[in-house]
Amino acid sequence: MKGILDYVPGSSFLHRLNPLVKLLLAFVLCAACFVTGNHFIVLGVIALNLALALSAGILGRALRMLRSLLKLSALLFLVQIFFVREGATLLALPLGICITDLGLSFSLLFVLRLLAAALPLGLMLSVTQTSDIPNVLVRRLGLPYQYAFVLGTAIRFIPLFAQEMAGIMEAQTARGVEFDTGNFFKKVALLLPLCAPLLVSSVRRIEGGAISAELRGFYLRGRKSGYKDYPFALRDLCALLGGACALALAVLF
Amino acid sequence: MIQLKNLGFRYSGAERLALDGIDLTVEDGAFLGLIGSSGAGKSTLCYALSGIVPHHYRGDFYGEARIEGMDSAEHRPEELSRVLGCVFQDIDGQMVASVVEDEILFGLENFGVPRDEIEGRVTQALAAAGISELRGRLISELSGGQRQKVAIAAITALRPKIIVLDEPTGELDPRSSRRVFETLKELNEKHGVTIIVVEQKIMLLCEFAKRLAVMEEGRLILEGEVPAVLQSAGRLEAAGVNIPRVTTLARALREEGLYGGKLPLNLDEGEAMMREVLRPC
Repeated sequence: MKGILDYVPGSSFLHRLNPLVKLLLAFVLCAACFVTGNHFIVLGVIALNLALALSAGILGRALRMLRSLLKLSALLFLVQIFFVREGATLLALPLGICITDLGLSFSLLFVLRLLAAALPLGLMLSVTQTSDIPNVLVRRLGLPYQYAFVLGTAIRFIPLFAQEMAGIMEAQTARGVEFDTGNFFKKVALLLPLCAPLLVSSVRRIEGGAISAELRGFYLRGRKSGYKDYPFALRDLCALLGGACALALAVLF
Repeated sequence: MIQLKNLGFRYSGAERLALDGIDLTVEDGAFLGLIGSSGAGKSTLCYALSGIVPHHYRGDFYGEARIEGMDSAEHRPEELSRVLGCVFQDIDGQMVASVVEDEILFGLENFGVPRDEIEGRVTQALAAAGISELRGRLISELSGGQRQKVAIAAITALRPKIIVLDEPTGELDPRSSRRVFETLKELNEKHGVTIIVVEQKIMLLCEFAKRLAVMEEGRLILEGEVPAVLQSAGRLEAAGVNIPRVTTLARALREEGLYGGKLPLNLDEGEAMMREVLRPC
């Protein structure tokens, strides 16, 4: 079963970009959301992300990411909207609670930023092989391999832990636990006890990986040990220019 | 060559010894099968050979384990791994990459294998394990058996002098299990690689291994050529080890005075035995 952050093989423009450029592009798009206060620019970044996802053949996945973020966004929106008291009151509620125009605008921007900033990182992970990230950081930026490997492993473990959790939930469901309850608090109460077995299996997996890496010369690796080269091509320059334009627009507006 | 002298180990906090005074010499080019019931100490012995014990798992360690002349207590696992490769039981835990090709490349890159040599080694290791078509696949999409083959290929690509495998066919069907053993046999006979393999599929092991070592409660109770070890059926059964059915049948026929030849270790030899027994006088 494919997780939402697993690599999707392909040969699209995005897939063929240098991993370092993909990483930079993702961060530039994230930064664009935070340097602008314009809702439409942030919406534009979301649209750009969806267009990139479409070009890479992963639009469905991008929409699934958006949908899964929407619940959290709705919760954050509600929290924010009641706590910002500056601006003209749009709606007065009992107990001195009110919704203001500034509160509405800020909450909306906050939520849009969350959606727009999460998408590029998700897309980047979907079109980049996990091992390419540490490798390119070592070869192109000179980062010590041990640190780069830890970063790559942390990214690799996100979908693995999700799978592990799904497995534990399936086992509990088979024993009669009903996780598909509509009650949020009840669901949290059911999930909390599963953190212990997840932690145990995760630690075991990490330990196994560490031993395996050590037994295959992990500490012997140098900067020039890598097999793959990560050359820059014209498409990388184009992608970087595109990212720079998006950032410039965000700064200007 | 591997030399173990009075090797012992007790995991930190454990009451009993996981390894208890093991004396064993494994010559270059040997194919040794390691058998014993669960908890006999087979996996711990694999850890001791690779240096994981005592460097990673702490506890009381005594005696000596020399791997190609290197004392495992003095040399770190990464130094020992230049000559000894290991495939452990927990296959998923051993994976360090997301894609099959990257998993094979990992060790080769770490050891600084020249670039022009890497491609050949990856192709050869994948072909030997029968998984060439899986090269670009995500490991998370593979079956347990396929992952097991990837783990084996990742080690064989490094071409160590010694390969230690802890139940390498645990998740494989009979056909794939045989293929793994055939690969090990080829490495052993054509390339002179020393093979030490822990295995529960005793019939398969007896067919391919040249020698057997039997463990019970941390001790090495028997070691020798396969037919000689199988002669001690009583001790093997007491140690919780099954012996091949054809061997059991041969022993029963011997006790009845119906057969006096060598102990059969596989079905072909069993068939030959039965032909001899049933031949009209």
